[in-house]
Amino acid sequence: MRRSINALSKALLTVAIVTTSFIAFSGGNEVATLRDSTPIDVQKTPAPIPNVANTDVKQKRNYPMQPPLIPHKVRNYQVDLKVNKCMSCHSRNRTEESQAPMVSVTHYMNRDGNFLAEVSPRRYFCNQCHVPQRETDELVENTFVDMNTLMKEKQAAKAEKH
Amino acid sequence: MKLNRREFIKANAVAVAASAAGIALPASASNLITSSDMTKLKWDKAPCRFCGTGCSVNVGTMDGKVVATHGDIKSPVNKGLNCIKGYFLSKIMYGKDRLQTPLLRMTDGKYDKNGDFTPISWDQAFDVMEEKAKGTLKEKGPDGIGMFGSGQWTVQEGYAAVKLMKAGFRSNHIDPNARHCMASAVGGFMRTFGIDEPMGCYDDLEAADAFVLWGSNMAEMHPILWTRITDRRLSAPHVKVAVLSTYEHRSFDLADNGMIFTPQTDLAILNFIANYIIKTGRVNKDFVSKHTNFRLGNTDIGYGLRPEHPLEKKAKNSDASKAGGSVEIDFDEYAKFVSTYTAEYASELSSVPVDKLNKLAEMYADPKVKVTSLWTMGFNQHTRGVWANNLVYNIHLLTGKISTPGNSPFSLTGQPSACGTAREVGTFSHRLPADMVVKNPKHRAIAEKIWKLPEGTIPAKPGYHAVLQNRKLKDGELNFYWVQCNNNMQAAANINEEALPGYRNPKNFIVVSDPYPTVTAQAADLILPTAMWVEKEGVYGNAERRTQSWYQQVQAPQGAKSDMWQVVEFSKRFKMEDVWTEELLAKKPEYRGKSMYNVLYENGNVNEFPLSEIPDDRLNQESRDFGFYIQKGLFEEYASFGRGHAHDLAPYDRYHKERGLRWPVVDGKETKWRFKEGSDPYVKPGSDYDFYGKPDGKAVIFALPYEPAAEFPDAEYDLWLSTGRVIEHWHTGSMTQRVPELYKAMPDALVYMNPDDAKKRGLRRGDLVKLISRRGEVESRVETRGRNKPPRGLVFMPFFDASRLVNKLTLDATDPLSKETDYKKCAIKIEKA
Amino acid sequence: MKNLVLKLWHTLRKPSVHFSLGFLVVGGFIAGIIFWGGFNTALELSNTEEFCISCHEMENNPYEELKTTIHFTNRSGVRATCPDCHVPHKWTDKIARKMQASKEVWGKIFGTINTPEKFEAKRRHLAENEWTRLKANDSLECRNCHNFDYMDFTAQSTRAEEQHSTSLASGEKTCIDCHKGIAHELPDMTGVEGW
Repeated sequence: MRRSINALSKALLTVAIVTTSFIAFSGGNEVATLRDSTPIDVQKTPAPIPNVANTDVKQKRNYPMQPPLIPHKVRNYQVDLKVNKCMSCHSRNRTEESQAPMVSVTHYMNRDGNFLAEVSPRRYFCNQCHVPQRETDELVENTFVDMNTLMKEKQAAKAEKH
Repeated sequence: MKLNRREFIKANAVAVAASAAGIALPASASNLITSSDMTKLKWDKAPCRFCGTGCSVNVGTMDGKVVATHGDIKSPVNKGLNCIKGYFLSKIMYGKDRLQTPLLRMTDGKYDKNGDFTPISWDQAFDVMEEKAKGTLKEKGPDGIGMFGSGQWTVQEGYAAVKLMKAGFRSNHIDPNARHCMASAVGGFMRTFGIDEPMGCYDDLEAADAFVLWGSNMAEMHPILWTRITDRRLSAPHVKVAVLSTYEHRSFDLADNGMIFTPQTDLAILNFIANYIIKTGRVNKDFVSKHTNFRLGNTDIGYGLRPEHPLEKKAKNSDASKAGGSVEIDFDEYAKFVSTYTAEYASELSSVPVDKLNKLAEMYADPKVKVTSLWTMGFNQHTRGVWANNLVYNIHLLTGKISTPGNSPFSLTGQPSACGTAREVGTFSHRLPADMVVKNPKHRAIAEKIWKLPEGTIPAKPGYHAVLQNRKLKDGELNFYWVQCNNNMQAAANINEEALPGYRNPKNFIVVSDPYPTVTAQAADLILPTAMWVEKEGVYGNAERRTQSWYQQVQAPQGAKSDMWQVVEFSKRFKMEDVWTEELLAKKPEYRGKSMYNVLYENGNVNEFPLSEIPDDRLNQESRDFGFYIQKGLFEEYASFGRGHAHDLAPYDRYHKERGLRWPVVDGKETKWRFKEGSDPYVKPGSDYDFYGKPDGKAVIFALPYEPAAEFPDAEYDLWLSTGRVIEHWHTGSMTQRVPELYKAMPDALVYMNPDDAKKRGLRRGDLVKLISRRGEVESRVETRGRNKPPRGLVFMPFFDASRLVNKLTLDATDPLSKETDYKKCAIKIEKA
Repeated sequence: MKNLVLKLWHTLRKPSVHFSLGFLVVGGFIAGIIFWGGFNTALELSNTEEFCISCHEMENNPYEELKTTIHFTNRSGVRATCPDCHVPHKWTDKIARKMQASKEVWGKIFGTINTPEKFEAKRRHLAENEWTRLKANDSLECRNCHNFDYMDFTAQSTRAEEQHSTSLASGEKTCIDCHKGIAHELPDMTGVEGW
């Protein structure tokens, strides 16, 4: 009983919202997904700033060449002419103590593809490719398919045939 | 029918091959799939879809889907690197809300401006567009028809659209969104050099001893070029980097000399540097006397607002005929003009300390230091944007630091083909291909000849530019309006007062073509689902004159069609009698009874190349639909404008083999530095330097003053608002906000504030606030310790966020010369919401 | 010179002619309290953030940098002021530090560090002073608030827990070893161990 009342009030609320949006926008259903169906002359109250995920749990890469995401906070990490905070854990020399993953070998290559003794200065600013993630849900689902899924499908199809 | 079958076979080729091939392993043999017929990816090149840097990426496909992308090691631009956005290109086409069918606002099965979006077929979509366009033509003539395009259009798309509008509909009211981004740079080039686009190239980045960033946050907006500057700065210790901005941002991390200046005072700093060079006796007299002229420009030119605005009425030279005027002066008069810009005066205006200004000026003045200046929207989105461009060229011309490796005033671009499509093709309301303009009868004649049109087809009067288009929509004068490949309801300034009332004006019919349901699509009457990036074949031109092509690599979602297909297909709906006057038809009677499609695209040029020229393993949806290699035909006809006129492009097929070539491409060789003998084949032998865009081969040094901004903080609206971008999102975020990793890295547009400004208003980080300007209100949340650190008195808010439209606040004040909006300066107040 | 000293010595040795012994004892005691109190009050006054940032060098450089860090603004609103980290709480150490600080005031008055550029040039030197002090006293000023005994590792991030439960717990490392630059920008770190 209670649940149905709730459902009813929800439905009424939706009707009310839809009606007001009609008034506000002189008609039309709202299609802009990134606006969460809000008319252009109205604004949905901005959500609080989400926290940065700080789990240290690695996320699977979408493909091997994707730069890994940063699974921790980087608040006030200084990377400038004076110092590179990231490399104080991720450089080759520091990984034994820090147990952080070493930057990949590609980072030691200069523009011409030759290996240097230290990380190439062209890779100095880590945040040009690597970003932390905030604890929030995606806005729109992405239907990108992992190559592994495609291969598995093909393999299964093949096995079925035989 | 035949074509469809062929496509079907191609799309399924891999799958067919896989199932036909040999013995399959038992599924349980290993947890790792190793057989090469399964793990093999098909790799092909494409330029990145985002900014004007023009990185090349390798696109990996499997079973008709993009499954991976990475930086192209063979590309001289990025040498294997991508920025965070580029690395996630693989996912931009796969947002779940991709549009797959046209949507029309309807009530009870009929078009209704206030109706609900309802799925219809392409035929129905074109029916209603045809009806609306023909109705407008009947009522208002060509002047009622307009189009808003893009620096993200491929060269072919832009070119097809220009033909449709300027030759077909005979309306010059076509403008690209590059108006918001590059118009001031174009104005600067044309005014100083008489020819558009940078003389230098990215090779300057490895050759310079000093870099100066003028209103450009390259660390976020041009990350790959920033890696090249970082590489240079950190591997050669003598190299110095100076960064100027109105707030501190990530590029300051590499700055040896970081300067925060009061908005608009860059003009004074630029003049101070010129004065410093003169006062310290470091003018390159030989260069200046041989290769430059001096002119005094008109001042008090207004702010490009509506003519009835008090600021326009007050301005002495706000009239278009006067704003760009100038008179010849000599060096001494110029020296006297800039002599008032002392270090002390520039420091007083800008609040940059005198010693920092002197250090900056000395870098330019020292004849031993090769300087590369870089700028983007800080200069261009400026009510004196053309001036700012002119003034930085002054410095390079006074010292002769130009057109040689490392000596380079370099205008960066924000869109992948702002140069290639918007500028070179000439999709601006006043332009034609290869730097020609509609105003010039000779230029019109050249275009009419190439296009096989009767004399007088192209209207002589420049059409409505981007900002004027929104005003004309609001005023009900522009009634049939087609928006392709951009999101102007989010990107245009002053949405509340101009854009939204314009689109929703009952007199107007608005068509928006986009892969996704954007804010602009929401404001439209008809939405057309559009194929994007590697779902079609195309050509882009980057900031260093590099032209790059790519093949179609995957099929677009069912129902989505490329912009070019839409334009060309729509042209079939009009007989020449529908669009041309009897007078014009009489000059070319063979066009009677023909369609626009016949005249514009089946003209012997565009349809010159048969389908057989397309490699068999290539998709190319559009060409197979039209029955000829349309991308090649459009490109070759377009290229004939520039060949032999310092805009030479290579034959189309060559671009498929190269990682781009920098025009002019003469005798098969690209040009790195223009205007310099030895590196530019167009330079007159023996002249050393030849600025051949000007009749006398001399570039112009302009005397132009500092003038205040259109709007600045006062007692009530007490903060400067600057808008801009962030590294994770590209422009309005319609692609990048749909990539979960990018969205989660930077989900919302926050308002970046100085902690003291926040405290003064009783605000703290995360507080919900209302940003209020004279034009509108927007809510956001306060960020006091983010990556951008504004000084007291200024706030920054990016425009990528569709749910927080910061352009409800901005003022549509534009540079009166370039008609580009100043998005970096308006006055707001902030209150707790 | 010698005569003057001798003369003073004689005067001090002479018994009081006008004041009673009681008065002198009590008066001296009171004067002592006033002097001592005044000294300490003045000392405490110089121990406030207001005093620290009363000169522009401090306000525009280290204090400005502090504002965006976790020691200035954080979830619980407990914030560190300049003296919390930079002035020892023990009296003798405090006096020693104060005497050192007078050199910095000297620097202020005579312009050794009166511009951001000069501050920048001295940054490594100034930072090293603080690192050395904190290393020597086992990060005493950190520990005044961050008491190891009461740390809840389960409430920390995995990385923090790992480091705190091993290196810090064993005494092998002290706070400043890992947390350099936690409240201010780091200097050029060339040659610094662990960087």
